[in-house]
Amino acid sequence: MSSYHRPPSVAEALRLKRELPGSSFIAGGTDLLVQMKDRVRQPTALISIRHLSELTRIETDGGARLGAATPLSDLADDSALMTGWPILGEALRDFASVQIRGSATIGGNLCNGSPAADAAPALIVLGARVRIAGLDGERLLPVEQLFEAPGRTRVREEELLVSIELDPPLPSGHGVFLKKMRTAMDVSLASIASLALLRDGRLEEIRLAAGSVAPVPMRLHETEKVLRDRPLTPERIAEARRVARDEVRPITDIRAGADYRRHIVGVFVQRALEATLEKGDR
Amino acid sequence: MSPYLGKARPRPDAAEKATGRAEYIHDIRRPGMLHAAIRFSEHAHARIKGIDTLKAERIRGVRAVITAQNTPEIRLGFLRDNVALKGEKVRQFRDEVAAVAAIDPDVAAEAAAAIEVEYEPLPALFDPASALDEGAPLVHERDAAGRPLETNLMPVHFRHSSGDITAARSAAAHAVSGEFSTPLIQQSCMGTAGALAEFDPRMNLTIWAKTQIPFLAQRDFNSALSQIGLAGRNTRVIVPALGGGFGTGLDTHCYEYIAILLAWRTGKPVKILYKRDQEFAYLSPRQSSTVRISQGCDAGGRLTFRDVHVTQDNGAYGSWGATYPSVMMIPATSLYRVPNIEFDCELVYTNNTYAQAMRGYGNPELTWALESNLDELAEAAGIDPLEIRRINCNEPGEVTPMGLRVTTCGLRECIEGVGERLGWKNKGGWGAGKKRGVGLASMVHVGGSGRIYRSDASGVILRLDDYGNLYVASGGVDMGQGLHSALQIMAADSVGVDPERVFITQTDTSTCPWDVGTHASRGAFTAGNALLMAAEKMRRQLFEAAIDLYPDLVEQARRSWIRANPDTPPADFDWRASVAPERFQLRNNLLSLRDTPPIPWLEIDLAKLIRAAHFRAGGGEMFTVEAFYDPPSELPDWERGQGNMSACYTYGTQGVEVEVDTDTGDVKIVAMVSVLDVGRVINPQALRGQIVGAIAQGVGYALYEQVITEKGRILNPNFTDYKIPTAVEIDFPLDLEYIETDEPAGPYGAKGIGEPGLTPTAPAIANAIFDAVGVRVRDLPITPERLLAALHARYDDHIPRRAPNAR
Repeated sequence: MSSYHRPPSVAEALRLKRELPGSSFIAGGTDLLVQMKDRVRQPTALISIRHLSELTRIETDGGARLGAATPLSDLADDSALMTGWPILGEALRDFASVQIRGSATIGGNLCNGSPAADAAPALIVLGARVRIAGLDGERLLPVEQLFEAPGRTRVREEELLVSIELDPPLPSGHGVFLKKMRTAMDVSLASIASLALLRDGRLEEIRLAAGSVAPVPMRLHETEKVLRDRPLTPERIAEARRVARDEVRPITDIRAGADYRRHIVGVFVQRALEATLEKGDR
Repeated sequence: MSPYLGKARPRPDAAEKATGRAEYIHDIRRPGMLHAAIRFSEHAHARIKGIDTLKAERIRGVRAVITAQNTPEIRLGFLRDNVALKGEKVRQFRDEVAAVAAIDPDVAAEAAAAIEVEYEPLPALFDPASALDEGAPLVHERDAAGRPLETNLMPVHFRHSSGDITAARSAAAHAVSGEFSTPLIQQSCMGTAGALAEFDPRMNLTIWAKTQIPFLAQRDFNSALSQIGLAGRNTRVIVPALGGGFGTGLDTHCYEYIAILLAWRTGKPVKILYKRDQEFAYLSPRQSSTVRISQGCDAGGRLTFRDVHVTQDNGAYGSWGATYPSVMMIPATSLYRVPNIEFDCELVYTNNTYAQAMRGYGNPELTWALESNLDELAEAAGIDPLEIRRINCNEPGEVTPMGLRVTTCGLRECIEGVGERLGWKNKGGWGAGKKRGVGLASMVHVGGSGRIYRSDASGVILRLDDYGNLYVASGGVDMGQGLHSALQIMAADSVGVDPERVFITQTDTSTCPWDVGTHASRGAFTAGNALLMAAEKMRRQLFEAAIDLYPDLVEQARRSWIRANPDTPPADFDWRASVAPERFQLRNNLLSLRDTPPIPWLEIDLAKLIRAAHFRAGGGEMFTVEAFYDPPSELPDWERGQGNMSACYTYGTQGVEVEVDTDTGDVKIVAMVSVLDVGRVINPQALRGQIVGAIAQGVGYALYEQVITEKGRILNPNFTDYKIPTAVEIDFPLDLEYIETDEPAGPYGAKGIGEPGLTPTAPAIANAIFDAVGVRVRDLPITPERLLAALHARYDDHIPRRAPNAR
């Protein structure tokens, strides 16, 4: 690494990125610096973006716009955000440690491209979009389509993820986030997010997404199909558990076996739906 | 009553550590110091065909590149089966093939990576069973003396046989067998390994080493000096502040000899430090083991036999860890009363990473099997698990089949204490659907050191300066366990000085007296006893000096008192008649006479007495005394498994309540109780630290920790992938109780307590899980995945809301 830059604006940051081939943006640095230490990534230059106020704002006015360089702890401390989209709070609550949450940013968690990114399943079920800026302008992409492969997203080399945008919360939607770790400080070995709208015992809307059980955070479309527009019954939940187990594509690694991960996804889908059922039509 | 003993007091090193002043190996720098890096093997087993160091030598800043070809061979290890740099072949992934000294750590690492090594891979062995197959390749073709070897079985023998096990087995009313395994465990010291070696102009060596055995290390390093042509030169071992030991410091290590070789080659101080991933990959973990055990009892639940066979995957070289069975034999023969016993073991060379000692030294492995299996026996006999332990409880005064002479023994109180505190009597009737259960397990360990060497002694030197400060030099190492706290309190109490006036000398072989090493929970026991002997000498010398000097000092004190308080009525007490050595007393740096009225000038500041003695006309004296304590124990005959290896034994019981999530396999500890016979509490604060820390390690052993290897390569060399419990996992109510049996051999009645805390934790948890869900996991760690697999095997996906064994 030969130089460190602190550009005054997003536009300047993008220009630097084009000028400095092999450079990398840095925000919280909680992943990048570890990878640099281990020489997994060796950027030629670092371009800091965490000081840019346009990237660290949280705006809530019906919907929400989260600056990509906002630390996770700032999101968790924002009461309007936590009240409107509580599932996001659940996903961030047990995220790593207090120190990491103080530094790691929401955009960084997504751009790292980890299949285990805890924020991803929650943002996917919320229907969140990311705003991506390039020198030629901006584009919007659903979070669901952001991930390409482990460690790879659709944010191109000369682009910068600038914000995450949320639609107004579903009226009476019920969100649940569950994750499984080995100890309290761990990369999750399976996680799921569920957002359900139960009316008169029927699931009017259901969105399910899972982390750490496929090459990228994934939406559980097959499982949703079993549930959508149907009465939510214990039998239906048992079926959803089976379908979810088959729908995910986990691998075996040192944290857990593939079969165990499938099993946990099934259990979590069941638990999330049971929680929705218990909460009822309110 | 002692003003300091048994009272909570922060450790003397606490403030230094909390404020970053303590000097660890990482902090020590010497003028002109170079940094070392090691090139490790890339094969589990291979012949070295050639090493090309040219590219490495040409890198700017490199000062030396060494290999087996250009340095003398240094042999090490308890079987001398290891060499510092490997020349002929590599036997594990972490074998040291070459090393570099350079001006900074990055250059050293770059140069180490630039060394080119050509290998001829050999078939490798990754488990004891295949290593023992007929025709298996040999990890070592020859022993240290050059004699050909024919097997991968290590030449170490630990056996015990007593009574008639065949007859007892056929006569038993109930008998159960099981096979239990434990994984490789990383000691997880907060401070990683490192050393700094420096030769003085006379070619004497100083080495700052992360060691628990400074004096045996001095011997090892002196022997290395001989091997490099420096016979007769000396090594000074200095032990910096240690961020944990846990057994890693019981051996000397290849990296230390490599630092010595590089310092010798370059003429500069050379430092080597392991980073966390290197600590995982290149330092020896706790051995993995398999224990096959059967136990039987009569109709009344009295144990009639115990048959134990241990297999240890030793890895590629022998460390002191290869003597684990010496300690395994203690619980195998002496936990509960069992008349007929067989114990044997096989230690097998493989191409896995070689293993070394860790806290408990074989005892947790054996207790895991024994106490899990005892619950199975209780189940088979229809006896309550607590009751079967009471029936077979050890008692004071008994001599066990191994010849251990039990002096004090609070095991019965420990078992019953756990029962009471855990609410064992009400253990039936957990709410339906709440899969909760309780379990317990006990332990016995050496409490009065463990003799595994011809001397098991500790020396202490006490010195009082002219101002009444007491310096304690001990060869015992404080690696975080709090030995210095125990010594501070015992010194203050036994000599009679203020604890704030006690200074513990940094461990250094040039200033501290000999000590065999800090292991076997022995530090406070042996160094404490040596300290009490020295304190007695010190007091005798002080009181003898006081016979002549005290009257004048009192007279001076009286005069200055009266000058300051002219209205003082004259005291008509004839204190001179009381002056005799046995009448003196010394407390809190004040010398006075016993049984005298409270006359202020009769209390003399110790410093005044010392100065009076020091500067006495016609020949003064200094107050420096030493003592050497070797405990009353025997070096056992290991082939027969006989001998009283410790001066006394520590007992204890832990009880656990768990809640099992039968959907995910998660185990949550609801509460834990630990009752230990510690002999006597010296510092409750330090003791609590020892026990809580040990229990956290025990919980990790039970539920989370395992070094995962694939064909000899370690896959999880970091704390992201190797899980130790966090504060969240041990955030359960922990009820600690101590039984004070006042051990006659112990200093102030205390027993060793460093290792007992983690020994029964894993089986207690496993027994509680069985109580909760009726499933027994026999392999550690009990991960959710393993427990779930066991649940599914037992209940075939239809896990009952209530465990069948729930009462």
